[in-house]
Amino acid sequence: MINVSFHKCSCALALSLALVAPSFALAEKVLRRANDLSYGGSESLDPLSPSRFYEATDLIYNRLIRPTADGGTAPELALTWVPNETAMEWTLTLRSGVRFHDGSDFEAADVKYSLERINDPALESPVASVLGIISSVDVIDPLTVKINLSAPHAGLPLLLYDYRVRMIPNGSGDMIASSGIGTGPFMLESFDAESMTQLVANPNYWDGAPKLDRISFTAIADQEARNQAMLAGQLDLNSLSRDQEPFYKDNPAFTLQNFPVGDWFGIAFLSDEGALTDPRVRKALRIAVDRQEMMNLLAGAGNAELTCDNPVKKSDPFRADISCPQDITGAKALLAEAGYPDGIDIELYTSDLEPGMLQFSEVYQQQVAKAGIRIDLKVAPADGYWDNVWFYKNAMTSWGERPADQWLNEVYRTGADWNESHYANPAFDALLDEARSTLDQARARDLYVKAQEMLFEEGSTFIPYQENGRRVMSSKVTGIAPVGEDFIDWHLVDMAK
Amino acid sequence: MLGMVAQRLGWAVFTMVIIALAVFLGLEAMPGDACTVHLGRGASDAALATCRARLNLSDPALYRFFTWAQHLLTEFDLGNSVQRGKPITEIVSWRLRNTIILAGTATALGVPLAIVLGVLTGIYRDSVLDVSVSAFSMFLMTIPEFISGTLLIFIFAIGLGWTSGIVTLSYKAPFWDMMVVSFLPAVTLSFILVAHIARMTRASMIEAMQSDFVLMARLKNVPRRQIIWRHALPNALLPTISVIGLTVAWLLGGVVIVESVFNYPGLGRLAVNAVSDQDLPLVQAIALLFGAIYTLVNLSADLLSITLNPKLRGQRQ
Repeated sequence: MINVSFHKCSCALALSLALVAPSFALAEKVLRRANDLSYGGSESLDPLSPSRFYEATDLIYNRLIRPTADGGTAPELALTWVPNETAMEWTLTLRSGVRFHDGSDFEAADVKYSLERINDPALESPVASVLGIISSVDVIDPLTVKINLSAPHAGLPLLLYDYRVRMIPNGSGDMIASSGIGTGPFMLESFDAESMTQLVANPNYWDGAPKLDRISFTAIADQEARNQAMLAGQLDLNSLSRDQEPFYKDNPAFTLQNFPVGDWFGIAFLSDEGALTDPRVRKALRIAVDRQEMMNLLAGAGNAELTCDNPVKKSDPFRADISCPQDITGAKALLAEAGYPDGIDIELYTSDLEPGMLQFSEVYQQQVAKAGIRIDLKVAPADGYWDNVWFYKNAMTSWGERPADQWLNEVYRTGADWNESHYANPAFDALLDEARSTLDQARARDLYVKAQEMLFEEGSTFIPYQENGRRVMSSKVTGIAPVGEDFIDWHLVDMAK
Repeated sequence: MLGMVAQRLGWAVFTMVIIALAVFLGLEAMPGDACTVHLGRGASDAALATCRARLNLSDPALYRFFTWAQHLLTEFDLGNSVQRGKPITEIVSWRLRNTIILAGTATALGVPLAIVLGVLTGIYRDSVLDVSVSAFSMFLMTIPEFISGTLLIFIFAIGLGWTSGIVTLSYKAPFWDMMVVSFLPAVTLSFILVAHIARMTRASMIEAMQSDFVLMARLKNVPRRQIIWRHALPNALLPTISVIGLTVAWLLGGVVIVESVFNYPGLGRLAVNAVSDQDLPLVQAIALLFGAIYTLVNLSADLLSITLNPKLRGQRQ
């Protein structure tokens, strides 16, 4: 194994080179990735766990239905899904001939177990807030299940494609966190979240054997260290922040990708406090902003999609198209109407929690000043921000993408757990209820669009744009389209020799 | 002599008790407890109760301290990590080994180099060699490790491709593999080590060269080489030993930064992770361990000085 040549440099450098070299010299096609240890070593392979190791569970397990990059649905382990006329029951037919990594057949009983497990109180899965409406699952025959809901939901397939809803073998819940038996394109070989996790290709994958032989995850907690490892050729794929881009630009060894995702920074104003109880004040706070300028300044032109306080991403089929140019006169007029002709003082909490968050609130402060809105910026410590500041004050917030129905119900419905702006409007809730029980998709779209327009008129959350995701890859990697992680066909990813 | 050693040992044990108590009380004084911190905002009452029962958090603080100390002393058991759900002894022992490898490599590289440089600059005081070496070591001393480490990676791993940049080995990797990857981080650490020790050695070398016994040796026409290596250096090294002790113990602080920069799987990186995961029992264990190493290194330096110094050796307490 050791082939040391001392002719050039007699020091230990040559020695270390020779010893490190074997890991690069493998004939296998290995895609090397990093695990950022965001759950501090408690990463679990249970897809429903609050500390799931998502990058790995995405490769090991399959979903019933998968999302497509244009906001639609596509079959994965379920081939068809049909609701009854009240949208209270959904019948799914399953793909036949699919096997788990341990050789057992994937059948209806596994689906029943995997779905009913979501609402197991002992698990405390965050997915329960999304799919709590599943009351039971009936096995009709080995390849057919019926999902019974506690409330009608015409958009169930959009909830089922949640990245955490994965199929595991019937009864495997106690071991799944470490056994990692699924039906996915890669199989678990070794799992140690704090050092190295190895996945090998599943040669019997139902959609064709993967082209890669192996995918490995090395634990690197520090973002700068991950960047260094990528630059030094120790990783083949990594996410990227905007300020790291120049390191890779114009370097033929790397491919950069920039793709729309529905993630955003915003400001949640408390709609039940002081002057903010007046919807006119809330609207003034939002229309006084030049979103285009804000986006160019903070995200860079072409790195984000404008949105008019609408959390739903552009590619979502249920998204409302709203236009919202800066309107200083309009904002001043609204404030005067509401009884603030001399402008208004608003307290806003921000924090150095995520890169760019502080700058975001500062740019906002500058822009709305023109409309007589005086923002008193309070910088709260990052530690404990989500526990003590956010939700209790007018505060900076940050979200990851989800489908329209999930956005509107989880974050804006009256009394919802994550309703950070305390927005309460029975008419809005009624629209959501109606949309959920409407099987006619065109009609459902109208209802969701109406709800989003309502948010723009009187909502309390300011969202100027959704920033794109970024990744950097070794230029040897092929088969990864510029789309979010969720939409990659991992069995088609390959590496040039 | 024996009495003196016993006295030093006694002080070391006393220091350890104080450190343990201070760490424990510091964590106790924080708002919330290990479970509220670990489970965060969304924690249900049931989950909190289970977690508290698991960590015996309902017992009085002092009682918990004594049971913790008792487990530590009788079974060498540091308790369980909240976040990782594993025994801390198991988590910490591999990392401790890796940090010792790193600090050992840094010391082995740095100390001999520092002494040679210190002696040379001391003898050739105010020469071009002295001025340039002193200026350069001052320069190295002022560069923070996260900059020198990053620069070394850029030059040797990314630019020249001679070494691997970031450590991707498992914390359980074999001793020799760990040794090899510890080279670049050790060089980073030794920058500051070399500068400190070389400056100290230079100062005491200058002092020794001006002492009466060196003057006497010169008058007796003892060859210069012999004066330096046989008479001046051993005397100059004595004060240096305690500085080496302090600097090596001080390396521990540098280890935290260097290990994070290089992703080196040692105690320092574990400490950073434990703090950011708010894994309080683990933070407590690591703080105690750092305290123990610090005490131990200084104790050894003390004992070594006593053994080497005839004056101290002869003293009766």
